[in-house]
Amino acid sequence: MINYISGIWDARYFWVHLSLSDLRSRWRRSFFGIFWSMIQPLGITLLISFVFSRLFNTDITRYAPHVLSGIIIWEFLVASVTGGALSFLQADAYIKQCKHPLAIYPLRTVLAALMMLMMASVPLIGWILFIMPENLGLCWISALLAFPILLLIAWPLSTFMAYIGVRFRDLVPALTLILQALWFVSPVYFEVKMFRAAGLDNFVDYNPIYHLLQIIRAPLLQGEWPTVENYSFCLITAIVFLILAIWLGSRAERRVIFYL
Amino acid sequence: MTENFISLHQVNLHYASVAYKERSLKSLMANALKTRRAKAVFSDIHALKDISLTIHQGERVGLLGHNGAGKSTLLKTIAGLYPISGGEIQVQGQVRSLFDLSLGFEPDATGRENILYRGLLLGLSPKFIAQKKEEIIKFADLGEFIDYPIKTFSAGMQVRLAFAISTSVGGDILLLDEVIGAGDANFMVKAKNRITSLIEQSKILVLASHDFSALKSLCHRGIVFHQGELVFDGEILKAIDIYNKVNGMTI
Repeated sequence: MINYISGIWDARYFWVHLSLSDLRSRWRRSFFGIFWSMIQPLGITLLISFVFSRLFNTDITRYAPHVLSGIIIWEFLVASVTGGALSFLQADAYIKQCKHPLAIYPLRTVLAALMMLMMASVPLIGWILFIMPENLGLCWISALLAFPILLLIAWPLSTFMAYIGVRFRDLVPALTLILQALWFVSPVYFEVKMFRAAGLDNFVDYNPIYHLLQIIRAPLLQGEWPTVENYSFCLITAIVFLILAIWLGSRAERRVIFYL
Repeated sequence: MTENFISLHQVNLHYASVAYKERSLKSLMANALKTRRAKAVFSDIHALKDISLTIHQGERVGLLGHNGAGKSTLLKTIAGLYPISGGEIQVQGQVRSLFDLSLGFEPDATGRENILYRGLLLGLSPKFIAQKKEEIIKFADLGEFIDYPIKTFSAGMQVRLAFAISTSVGGDILLLDEVIGAGDANFMVKAKNRITSLIEQSKILVLASHDFSALKSLCHRGIVFHQGELVFDGEILKAIDIYNKVNGMTI
């Protein structure tokens, strides 16, 4: 295990480079370049908030940051899960040539997604500072903590998916379905109070996605610290995925090369 | 410093047959519903059969055998890429392998950028690559093309650059799989010299090739494979004889 971790560390220049080159190739193709990652979620947010605020009769200036925070975190999760499922297939040329720990390839996917998330959170923070400056406080430190927490959850999850994705080539469409179902039962765009009003408290209280979103939403949108419950749910989720990834990895890592 | 060596004891290797079947969630579910029915059975491919051999420091070993006899599989097993299904393998020393040179370029990036990328893939540090960069560019001798994206390169140019990068750093144990023979005549001479100097630096060489003259000049020990089995291990000239006999060829 220690050998494995030091192998990941030894290859650090390689996976950092891979993540950066993923971002470069994404931005190279578009006119707005790096700003595209900020503009795109912002555009969707405006559209959704406009419709939803009319539908549910809420204040658009306050509802929009809720949607935007939901979108960017959700996009990060989707990118980690579906990108993770493809991460070994995408890296087949490297896997066939060099013996690096395989966990670096999902890490590359997750890191790139995390950097996209950082870009996308700039307009969110700008918006909140403009509309709700009273929320700014010490508790914003916890919003920064969201990045390492997201990494701890997404890396093992993405690694787990990578192993399944290399075995079952039609995993991505299946995952898209599952993610869509999860999206519907989670307060990503919808507000928590809507769930509670409908008596669907369980969908919120036992939903790790809700707790994960709270790590960012509590400080930014409510000016509060996230609760201990929020943190514990996130940590338990991370540990469960870590165990799954280690379990599957220790069984399947060496055989992945045969499936490429 | 410890002695470098490669040691295999009754090594077996199977390619998992699942890898060749239809692999989808859809078929998994369909199979779970269906009652058992006779269909084409894929069995695991037994690629290495009970291989035992030891290569000591200073040895230059040539691997002979038909396509599919197990040469490349053995090299990749020594490099630690393939998992063995039985037996024991020990490798002491830093392995440097030259397998498929054209893999792993980024087509949109320039030749110069790809030097960095490939160097990182090989596990080199950015600092070290910066030191070696000029030497690599000079060796690949691509002129102004080094600043063009790789996708504008011809196949031969790509191989030249790949060769220049991959051979810029040596290792204790050098594993070569048919790489001699890249580029035009002019480059061939340079490549041969480069390989020779890499071989001189290395402590152990294992070369898989069909080129008898290269085998004779570079190796003193030959190992012949036939259908995954080791059929001969000894002096290189004898090994070439045996190889021809096994495959029913006369010189």
